[in-house]
Amino acid sequence: MTTSNATASDTVTFTFAGVRRGFVRGQALGFAAFVYGIAFGLLALEVGLSAIEAVLTSGVVYSGSAQLAAMNIMAEASPWTSANIWIITTSILIINARYFLYGATLRPWLGKTGPIQAYASLFVLADGNWVLSMSAYNEGERDAGFVFGSGFAMFLAWLTGTLAGSLVGALITNPALLGLDFLLVAFCGAFAVNMFKGRQDIAIVIVAAITAFITSKLVDGGWAIITAGLAGAAVAYVRYSWGSRKT
Amino acid sequence: MSFETAFLPLLLAMTVISFICRAGGFWLMRYVPTTPAVEAALKATPLAVMVGIVTPVAARGNPPELAALAVIVIIVRLTGSDILAAILGVATVAGLRILLGSP
Repeated sequence: MTTSNATASDTVTFTFAGVRRGFVRGQALGFAAFVYGIAFGLLALEVGLSAIEAVLTSGVVYSGSAQLAAMNIMAEASPWTSANIWIITTSILIINARYFLYGATLRPWLGKTGPIQAYASLFVLADGNWVLSMSAYNEGERDAGFVFGSGFAMFLAWLTGTLAGSLVGALITNPALLGLDFLLVAFCGAFAVNMFKGRQDIAIVIVAAITAFITSKLVDGGWAIITAGLAGAAVAYVRYSWGSRKT
Repeated sequence: MSFETAFLPLLLAMTVISFICRAGGFWLMRYVPTTPAVEAALKATPLAVMVGIVTPVAARGNPPELAALAVIVIIVRLTGSDILAAILGVATVAGLRILLGSP
């Protein structure tokens, strides 16, 4: 394991070198984003969006699952009435609620850079580069440019893929055949093994796994991520509070 | 290839809600004092979220995914490289899906 002593390097920076580091490390995730972008571009085409509209949607929403839901709603009721706008907006809010959690965990890092750097990094934040960034932070990375760089790598690939999909058409209809739907899970599994620091993490992992399991049996979508994250946070919070009370 | 003006309100609404989701948690944490307990909670969240992403997939019990997760754990333990492990995990899933003919 490459864990360095992070205490000495707790000064947060935002440099071009950091952006580049993130951009390079984000390439594998970028490839998956590109392929999924193609899939979304195709879907948008089917629903009746033009290439410009598809790319704009990818640029502002930048979330595969949320855009998929939006397309499903559009497919069923194509005129863009205000009622449909509300339905689409609400579904994006529900699907992307996990980002509240991501943003909160980035506070100790991004909060120490300028607001422009912080909010620009949040604008291009995705599941994959959040996981990548938290793992890098855990290993001592303190350059907030890493968050932006890795996010931007995925953002760029997502837009390029969307454009390619809506212009070129039926190249990749089923990314699952390439196993790409598994990429985020694969990264999470790998990072979790690296992040696992022994006994102190056992309770967090067990509680998170049980919570995620129960949640996924009850409701679909990203809810298991949110409940597992909150449950793990609660375990750490309660344990810390108890521990400090005893001493 | 055109841009319909009827699309604008929807685009605007999607822009606002998406950015609220991304920036909201970060912004709210300004008003939460970072006590050591809160710090411990934030520090524990990424691992818990990753477990939350992996668990439902593992719980479905499909052989390609389970085998891939085993490969990932072994590769990380052996090499320490998470990227290599993730890529080999994806390759395992893709290969086994083709071999086993599962979707």
